[in-house]
Amino acid sequence: MRIYEELFIIKPDTPEEEADQYVEQLQTQLTTAGATIDKVEKWGKRRLAYRIDKYREGFYVLLQFTGDANLVKELERRLRVADMVLKFITVRIDETLKRLEKRKKVRDKRAAKRATSAPPAGAAPAQPSLEKQMTETPAMPGLPKEA
Amino acid sequence: MAESKGRPGSAGQRPTGGDKAVIGGRKQYFRRKKVCRFCVEKIDDINYKDIKLLHGFVAERGKIVPRRISGVCAPHQRRLTDAIKKARNIALLPFASSF
Repeated sequence: MRIYEELFIIKPDTPEEEADQYVEQLQTQLTTAGATIDKVEKWGKRRLAYRIDKYREGFYVLLQFTGDANLVKELERRLRVADMVLKFITVRIDETLKRLEKRKKVRDKRAAKRATSAPPAGAAPAQPSLEKQMTETPAMPGLPKEA
Repeated sequence: MAESKGRPGSAGQRPTGGDKAVIGGRKQYFRRKKVCRFCVEKIDDINYKDIKLLHGFVAERGKIVPRRISGVCAPHQRRLTDAIKKARNIALLPFASSF
């Protein structure tokens, strides 16, 4: 079982209920095929960074599910066939999640170690200086300041 | 000898990564040492959906900002390029913004 993330764009001129229905349909199909839906996020209408099929915006929908690889194949086929879907991307995220968790664990452990081994006198000044660093660094030269 | 060791006059030097103070010539430059933002702020997850974050590492025309300019460390730059390319694929970031 793997964890996947499916992000797709629905045409902006489809009625909302129709889009909702479609997403619902995808979910039920996935669950009947043996997947568990972890998360559904509708980002709403967003501007696209470039034009796709003469559309400049679209509804973004994020679907996170756990399942096998053949499920993805089926889902992608469905998305490809659907008229209202402009574009989609499937990302396998279980390994990234694992990596992140590991990193977090290491970080937590280190923090705990620091808190226990160093007396409060040592730990206290370490924290503000780090914060200071953080606040100072974002002013990097050469980075385009454009939100 | 000293010449071959690679300290030519400051004139022909490329303006690369910036912790060196170029001494020699009339002007003295000092560039502040660049640090990797992801290391400093302890950002573990460089996600393709986090456009706000990625946007800072994309130039005006949509190009990925090189490491020598942004100061991002190599492992993080690798993750960053991956994320940016994924984001481009799903129209969150432009391939090239020309309009």
